Formats: sequence, C-alpha cells, structure tokens
Amino acid sequence: MTATVTKAILPPSTHEFAPIIHRLEAGGAMLPDTPENLMQIIGIYKAYAVPMDFYWRDLLYIAERVFLDPFPFFKYFLPKEYLELHNHYAGDDADLRIWRGKATAHPELLAFMEKGETFKMPKLFHHLWHDRVNMEFAEACMRAMLWHRGMGGKFDPYLDTDEYKANADRAIKAYFQGNPVMLGLYKLFPEMFIEQVRQLSYYSNLGLFWEVMAPVFFEMSDRYDAGDIKTVPEAMNFLVNAIFAIAGRPIYHHLHIRGEVYEIIPKSCGFMWLYEAALPYVEAVFYRTAPFRGTKSYNAQAQQVPEDQKDFHYGILYADVFPVGTAGIPPTLLMQDMLHFLPQYLIDYYQQHCRGKDDMLIQLGISFQRSMYVVTSAVIQALRTALLYPLDDPNPRHLKANRAFFEAQLNRFKRPEARLRDVQSQNYR
Amino acid sequence: MADIVDIAVSAGSFQTLVTAVQLAGLVETLKSPGPFTVFAPTDDAFEKLPEGTVQTLAQNIPQLARILTYHVVPGKLKASDLAQLNKLTSVEGSEIPIDTSEGFEVKNATVIAPDIEADNGVIHVIDTVLLMG
Repeated sequence: MTATVTKAILPPSTHEFAPIIHRLEAGGAMLPDTPENLMQIIGIYKAYAVPMDFYWRDLLYIAERVFLDPFPFFKYFLPKEYLELHNHYAGDDADLRIWRGKATAHPELLAFMEKGETFKMPKLFHHLWHDRVNMEFAEACMRAMLWHRGMGGKFDPYLDTDEYKANADRAIKAYFQGNPVMLGLYKLFPEMFIEQVRQLSYYSNLGLFWEVMAPVFFEMSDRYDAGDIKTVPEAMNFLVNAIFAIAGRPIYHHLHIRGEVYEIIPKSCGFMWLYEAALPYVEAVFYRTAPFRGTKSYNAQAQQVPEDQKDFHYGILYADVFPVGTAGIPPTLLMQDMLHFLPQYLIDYYQQHCRGKDDMLIQLGISFQRSMYVVTSAVIQALRTALLYPLDDPNPRHLKANRAFFEAQLNRFKRPEARLRDVQSQNYR
Repeated sequence: MADIVDIAVSAGSFQTLVTAVQLAGLVETLKSPGPFTVFAPTDDAFEKLPEGTVQTLAQNIPQLARILTYHVVPGKLKASDLAQLNKLTSVEGSEIPIDTSEGFEVKNATVIAPDIEADNGVIHVIDTVLLMG
C-alpha cells in the first residue's frame, strides 16, 4: 500500500541499489523478505543473545569492579553477583519489560559455563583450555569504539573534559588507596591511567548497550517460535520499536569500591542509549572496526588502508567471512560462541548445505551477516522515523528527503567489499 | 499576559508536554523572565512515538530534560524572525534546522500554530516531537 503511494509520487530511483531503495521506501529491510532469511536471522539472534548475556554482565563487571587491576587474570570469572544481576529489560522487576523471560543469566549460558564443550570441571581449567565464552570478542568491539572515538554523541567529547578527568582522578586515588606503588606510578604517568579509565568507560558503555540487545533478541526468537513474527519487515519493525523504547536509557560509568559508588560518568550527564551508545556502536563495529591481524595483509603506503578512519570498512557489513574464519580473530570468536547456542532448526539447515557440519562456522557467519543487515536496516528506518518523514507522507518534498537519506545510506555499500549485493541471494552461504 | 507554562497548561492539548516539563523540573526555568522560544509538541505528537519511548524517558529525568531542552531556544523568535534563518542552536546544544520556504517547518515537524505570545517568550506549536541527530 505504502509502496504504491510512494511510487505514484516519486519517479523510480536511479541509484545502483534502486530495488533496495524502493524496498526501504515500502517499509522493508535491506535483506529480502523470504522465510529462509527470516529463519536464519532469528535463529542467529537467539544464538547471539546467549553469549551477549555474558558479554554485558562481564563488561559491566570489569568497568565497575575489576577497574584498574594491574593483573586482571580473573576478569572473565563472573562472580555470582553479576550472574544474578537483574537485566533492566527482562523479568518481573524490569524498568520496561522487553523479554518475557528472567532477569538473571540465561539458563543455557549457565549450563555452558558449567560444562563447556568438554565436561564439568573447575572454572580455571575451562578458562585455560579456552573452553568458555570468548569475552575477547566483546573487548574487541569495545576497543573499536574507543579507537575510532568521535562518532557523534556527547559521551566521547566528555572523556576529554576536566570534569571527567577530575572524576577519574578521584576514582583512581580511591581504587589504589593504600597502594603506594600504583599511586606513585599514577603520579608519574597520569595520562596513561586516565586513558585506561576512558577505556573502562567504554566497557561500561558497551555493557549498557548490550544489556538491552540481549532481551530484544531473546524476545524476537520467542515471538518467532510462537508464530508472532512472520516476515523480515516484522522482525525489523520490532527492532525499530525497541530502539525508540530504549532510546532514553542512561549511559554512565559507575565504579564500586568498598561499598561506595564513584560516579566517573554520572547519569545526570544525560547521556542516552541511542545517541551515546547505539549509534557509535553501529558505526564502529558494523561499518568501521579495523583490519584483523592474521586475516589479510594490507599495505598502508599503497593506500590499501583508507587514510581517514571514517572510511574504514572492516565491519561485519563488509567482511569476507571465509578468510576471517581463523582461530583468534574476533569475528571467529563470536561465531564459535554462537555455535554453542544454535537452535535445532538452524543446525539442521546448515547440515543440508555446503559442507554441513564442517563449515558450520562460515555458514552461521554469513547468516550473522544477513542478520546484521537487518539490524542496520532497523537503525536506518529508526533514524528516518526520528529525523525525517513517514513513508506514506503525502508531501513529495518530504518523500524526496527520505529518498536522499536512503540513497546516502546505501552509498556506503557501493564499495566492492560490501556484502549488500551478496545477501540479496540465497546462494551466498 | 501569562507565561509559557501557564499558556501550555491552559491550552489543554499539551498534557504530555506539561507533565514532562514538571517531571524534568523545568517549570521554574520556563517561568523565569527568559525570554525563550519554545517549539511545543502537542499530545498527538507524543502519541506518534513508538510505545515505551515516553515511559523510558519519564524514568530517566536527565535524559528527559535533554530531549525537552532540545525544543527550547534562547531569545524570543517569532515566525518572521525565523524566516531569515535556516538553523537555530537549542538549549540542549544541538542544532535545529528551520525551513520557511514552503510553510513553516522545524526539522521534520510542521508548525501548526505559530507565534503564541507569552510574557517570557513565544510558543510555536509543532506536530512532531523533535529528536536530535
């Protein structure tokens, strides 16, 4: 219906991705609406949400408790307190109940933490055997945000203010109280310590961001299983509504020492989930990141790496999943994490294609890519809703502004590395 | 004449806005001499936001205040003054684009009632809640 109205007023787009522009104008996503795509993206959301339930808890644990521990050997050992920490968007006492499930750690996560891929043994052995959730992936995402910085919002500029430095100083002095060695080092290298605190503030930022996304993905999976989400646009619209519903969630950094709370970034700064976490995250992680060591060699002098950070294009929307599939590379670590929590229907599906079980990591990596094109579509549609006009706006000038916006967004996928063309076909596995 | 808050309260179609301003503790500011230019979204404008948006903001006062102050500009700027400009800087700090080429548009909102004069400024009624970005 919407599509007819739009087409009646505006001539067809002449953009390279015109069919996708028209699909966005009709309320669709960048990913074609097929049952196969829907099954893949929802299955992957569920498989992603379980390790994400660990990531956000541990990111907050590191930001709030481990802090500047010079030997953080046990930073991935989540204490009971953080496993039982209530998610603000799930459970009976939620601020806004997005997921119908429980507020504490997901049962599948707890089961995996106990047994891993091997068998039940003390946590330390699981850790050393690397039979655990790959927290290194979460830290790589955090570092991408820290490294790129300046991607909009007020959070990042705040990290350079005197107010922030004074808050960090107070926290550092309290944390190292009675530790003359560390306090001496702080006196010698104050900037180094402040920079470490900035990194910890990004731990908190990403933790608070993912605390929202885990219940969103769990709820989508439950709705799909119940038959309440039947198309890709329905899935995307669930995400769009969630983005709005949570937009005002505060982004802050609190440090807990000996029962006292030190507000390094207080909630009163007014930082918001949408502007200070979600949008910078999408920019840093979906689009930019950085070339992963060990995947491919780049010659910066031969301009194989863009001069400006804003032109970096190593995120999931551009990734060639196949060479990425090497041990220790952040996206592979995530694929490995998702492998443990795939719904049965996806396992059956992957077994029918390519090399079945043997290349399941690659197949699920490509499903993940499809699913992130839907999340990016949701972000694009949410921004269009927030900043521009309804899709059925009767004013042609407004529709033109919407189109210019969609076209500008899709211009980012014109470069040859972008996978937008590939995800249009089901043969890309 | 009445001040900005009194006018909004008596109009009756700004119940959400008035409640939000009270929650955010901005009543005193908007009753001060100012002057201010306020772009006031109607109740229908708030209704257009997806479910949960207002609820989350109402739970988080500094964040709510930030959205509200994006609707306020220092100075008394009437429609005729705004016709000379193409953007304003809000109290929140972000810019608000203005387009008076066809009608009177503030970012993606349309002004449905301009130039409601108050003691301490002017109100322009808009049909959409303004969001930064």
